[in-house]
Amino acid sequence: MTRPLLRAAALALLVAAVPASAQLGAATQSPPPEGVAPDGGAGHAKGHYHELDALPDWGGIWFVQAGASGGGAAPLIPKLKGEYLERYQAWRGEVAANDGVTRRTRSNCSPPGMPRIMRLGQYPYEFLFTPGRVTINQEAWMQTRTIWTDGRAHKEDPDPTFMGDSIGHWEGDTLVVDTIGISDELDLDTGMPHSAQFRLTERIHLSPDDPDVLVNEMRMEDPEALEEPFEVTVRYRRDRHGSLIEFQCAENDRNPIDEEGNTEFL
Amino acid sequence: MKLLAKLALAGIVLAPVPVLAHHSYAMFDMGKTVALQATVVRFKWQNPHAFIEIDAAARNGSERWSIEMTSPNNLAQEGWRRTSLKPGDRVTIWVHPLRSGARGGSYAGVRLPNGSTLGEVGGGA
Repeated sequence: MTRPLLRAAALALLVAAVPASAQLGAATQSPPPEGVAPDGGAGHAKGHYHELDALPDWGGIWFVQAGASGGGAAPLIPKLKGEYLERYQAWRGEVAANDGVTRRTRSNCSPPGMPRIMRLGQYPYEFLFTPGRVTINQEAWMQTRTIWTDGRAHKEDPDPTFMGDSIGHWEGDTLVVDTIGISDELDLDTGMPHSAQFRLTERIHLSPDDPDVLVNEMRMEDPEALEEPFEVTVRYRRDRHGSLIEFQCAENDRNPIDEEGNTEFL
Repeated sequence: MKLLAKLALAGIVLAPVPVLAHHSYAMFDMGKTVALQATVVRFKWQNPHAFIEIDAAARNGSERWSIEMTSPNNLAQEGWRRTSLKPGDRVTIWVHPLRSGARGGSYAGVRLPNGSTLGEVGGGA
């Protein structure tokens, strides 16, 4: 073997032996999502920022208004069925037997995911518009939710995640969002499980009565877990010049879970 | 009624109020308020909850209590700041105590050294 050949062989060996380093610098080239042209979509934002000016005024941060769901009548509760109802009843029984205290299977530093994270009383939200997407930053657990508005379709068989796969479009000043792919290990409401078929539709718009109130009409469907669709309206009030505060749960976890699933207090 | 209150806290009767927090409040006796004469040991202004560590006056000296608050962003809306308390401040603080009897509770209100108050003060003994 000649010297240059030897060198090339050694180099090839090195590259083969260290696959991770071989990929350094070579960015993945994802194909455009279904429904998006190669030169379009949220990845091609430049040249489209002026279009955002036509969108409604959702500036500032938003706090859930306590007690503002429903129309004031008896609370509506999701109607579970079958195995999901049995699991919920078992959970209720366990909580009652444990003196009203819920046992948890995961850390209090683990976020609730969708849809419950859109209904948190203590931590505000902000809605950011960029071409082709709406981003919801949630102070709670510093979570980020992306809603694609560039015309793409849902991912085919999306990975089950805490946020799910959200696509949306504007109907006038209302953002209509469709979300699937929310992990079935999460609750749709406290203690209430759902299946992988769970689907959430949201219609988000400013209140016609008060431009400092944002309304989210949520509709939850699940042919396996729900007897009928569950609808709940969440209202958020605006703090125009407020900003989100950092949330580093692991640095301030004073509520660890003990071996029996009880929340401790340090 | 008391049982109902507990169930409500546990989220069983939840649903009307979309107030889900970082963790359940079932650990606290939210129907009970205790007033503590205290010296501030530490005030931590941080998510998910701000909290106050205090030495509370007790029959035989003092007891170390841990008081959990809501989020800084919520507290700011009531007038709280990171600098509202500092170690050594002598305050009266009202809390909903832990049901376990351990020395901890959920913050209700405080009277600051300058006499001003924040939150829900009064009640308790």
